[in-house]
Amino acid sequence: MMTQTLHASIPQEPPRLTGMSDAVFAEVAARLAEVVAGASAPPIELTAMPLTSEDRADLEQRLGRGEVFATIESAGRSEVWETQFSGVWFVRHFGENDRTASECIEFGAAPAILFSHRADMAAAARRLATALQPANAHETTDH
Amino acid sequence: MPQEPKLAPTLGELLQERGVSRRAFLKYASYLSAVMALPAGSATALAEGLANARRQSVIWLSFQECTGCTESLTRSFSPTLESLIFDLISLDYHHTLQAASGEAAEKAREAAMAENKGKYVVVVDGAVPTKDGGLYSTIAGVSNLDMLKATAKDALAVIAVGTCAAFGGIPKARPNPTGAAAIDEIITDKPIINIPGCPPIPEAMAGVVSYLVSFGKLPELDHLRRPKAFFGETIHDRCYRRPFYERGLFAEGFDDAGARQGWCLYKVGCKGPVTYNACATLKWNGGVSFPIQSGHGCLGCSEPDFWDQGGFYRPLSTNLREMGPALAGAALAGAALGAGAAWASRRHQESYQRDQSAAEGDKK
Repeated sequence: MMTQTLHASIPQEPPRLTGMSDAVFAEVAARLAEVVAGASAPPIELTAMPLTSEDRADLEQRLGRGEVFATIESAGRSEVWETQFSGVWFVRHFGENDRTASECIEFGAAPAILFSHRADMAAAARRLATALQPANAHETTDH
Repeated sequence: MPQEPKLAPTLGELLQERGVSRRAFLKYASYLSAVMALPAGSATALAEGLANARRQSVIWLSFQECTGCTESLTRSFSPTLESLIFDLISLDYHHTLQAASGEAAEKAREAAMAENKGKYVVVVDGAVPTKDGGLYSTIAGVSNLDMLKATAKDALAVIAVGTCAAFGGIPKARPNPTGAAAIDEIITDKPIINIPGCPPIPEAMAGVVSYLVSFGKLPELDHLRRPKAFFGETIHDRCYRRPFYERGLFAEGFDDAGARQGWCLYKVGCKGPVTYNACATLKWNGGVSFPIQSGHGCLGCSEPDFWDQGGFYRPLSTNLREMGPALAGAALAGAALGAGAAWASRRHQESYQRDQSAAEGDKK
């Protein structure tokens, strides 16, 4: 009985669908159509939108999951997946304690975070060249 | 032929040496764009700006304060997204965090000022005692007042973090025995950003510094020099209990049926309708909760003179009646009419502030 009272005294956000997921879903369709027509479309930033947890679940369920799912480990974990609609990508970044730090919907062949940056490729090329030098190659073999 | 001085590495180069890829920049930029509500698609520009910037020298001065602001910013110690801010800045002086102490600490501050003249950012937490020549708080024999003036002289910008630095806060509360003053009452010739809160939201501090580093300019500020990205709306505007306010459903006490149902806390002293901050959206402790969600009204800690508003548990209208007729009228109208009261309160708050400014002008 005591537990019930304590629980009741900590009010939580009332669960509900507000219609926001319908609006976002329509916006997704409009932006993908722009991309198909040859234009670019900015991402839809979901983090600051007044979506209830039910709105988010509804949106995620309607977008569904497609063929690609990737996990990125860079300054914490990120998850990226293509929705069931080709060219519509869901990007979710996690922060401290695995909480969602930001999430957005991107449009195009692949979201920007999946691409290797030219600066990183240049650094990788330098590391490979160093690794190919005979002394370093020997050291690598020894280990 | 004299050799040109070697430029310090960019943040991109610096972090690459430590195995941090550009994806981390993009991720951090996406996160900041989200919390600062920057225009869609600006994350890429922000990431490039950060990667190509030099590490920002920051001199952090702590005056009449409780270290809560530092605690807020540094609560994350694991190498996560949120802690990337410490890779973007060179914290050249900070009483609480620096290893050096005594004369060595003061020398570090002077060296950072000399090496980064005109480019360093001064972060201040705490108010500054000004009465009796500022003798009520000294560091290494130098009054806070003199240290602030000397350090800010060649700064690029000054960021006042916490309500004490931004508005005087608790040290300035009546009867203000030390003559505590806000930073912008003392420094008047430098760009100043106020990030109030007791303590401020860590994302607001990190976001402003990152924006400054990346774009080389101040974010958009409101009339109290607060970044609009975090202080553009009231707590009430984004409060999940607002539907109860609009339906006239109020808790009358902290243990009554209304409180148990999660009704609006306006009548038990919530200052959400006149408090501009992002607690209701960004929340605290890793997004776990914020005071109203935990069952307590907003104290209004990011507003000027929040300590002297007549009581944390007295309804806003009661306090406002004592403060001035314009704002009291708005709050009473809010209680009666429900919807639209927040808008009215804001309008009248602005009117009240104009009246106050005019009154202060008359005194001078």
